[in-house]
Amino acid sequence: MDSILAEIYSTVLPAAPYVIAAYALIWLVLLAYVAVVISNLKKTEREMAALREELQRQQKD
Amino acid sequence: MCEEAVKDKKTTERDDKAVVEGAATALADRMLLPLLVAGALLASLGFVLAFTTAPLVVGAEADVPALIGGQMVTHKLLLSQKIFFFHVPVAVVSFIGLFVMALYGLRFLRQRDQIYDLKAMVAAEIALLFIVMTMLSGELWERFEWGVWWTWEPRLTTYLILMLLVIAYFILRAGIDDPERRAVFASAFGAIAFVDGLISLAVTRLIPAGAHPVVFRTDSGLPPAMLVPFILTLLGMLLVAFGLYRFRLRERRLHQQLDELKASYENQKGMH
Repeated sequence: MDSILAEIYSTVLPAAPYVIAAYALIWLVLLAYVAVVISNLKKTEREMAALREELQRQQKD
Repeated sequence: MCEEAVKDKKTTERDDKAVVEGAATALADRMLLPLLVAGALLASLGFVLAFTTAPLVVGAEADVPALIGGQMVTHKLLLSQKIFFFHVPVAVVSFIGLFVMALYGLRFLRQRDQIYDLKAMVAAEIALLFIVMTMLSGELWERFEWGVWWTWEPRLTTYLILMLLVIAYFILRAGIDDPERRAVFASAFGAIAFVDGLISLAVTRLIPAGAHPVVFRTDSGLPPAMLVPFILTLLGMLLVAFGLYRFRLRERRLHQQLDELKASYENQKGMH
């Protein structure tokens, strides 16, 4: 590359890992939060279904 | 007779309000997935435009100017500024989350309805999530541009205090068993955290000597090629935050219902 252009673009490539990491981390944090909420929701729904079954079983008895 | 009429009117008004709120909740829950998808799409579009249409900003002066794309470039070009297109929107959303937390906290203190405490808690959680994202993206920019991982600069310091206050809010909640007392203390503490949020927001103007740039200015002169991706990302992040807030709220409410069911089941078992 031309030495003048190399100087003008000198901070572009070294900055790329930081820019990519910043964007990736933002989405990773969001996805991790969504995963935690979904996991909690499923656990609660499972417990709710088990409790309903137990109540129905008791009513039959 | 007159008192009864007033009482009836108040009851009817309360019922109407409950019906409207119920309908709004049902609509928000139905719109949850479309909101999250729309938010993610808008933010992604903002991301694409930030790297395609938005020009690179200029940094330090180059020794010799060069002609690039028909334009004379006299300064080094900065890629690191691209972090701005996500860092600022998530920071804005974190402040909005804090505002919602403080608002519901105050509503709880006025009306003593536990639902407002729950909403304040979920808003605080979303605010903390976006604070963490702001800190992470800001740290990476700072490491590259300033060459350090941390500096006790006024905006950074007040924002760090803000993050610690929101974490302390959850520690406080975890330490109090009585729901009424917990909600009162959390609401008051949430208001304090919000005040620090306001200080953090205004500190770049209050202490202009700080290193953090003042982002929102009337003279910023952001060209449309940069403004459009920024606004798209901001809208996208707002929708994502709102979708996550409703999603988490639904999960917490279901959990509360489960706890109530468990308690009544245990009571029934005890009676038999």
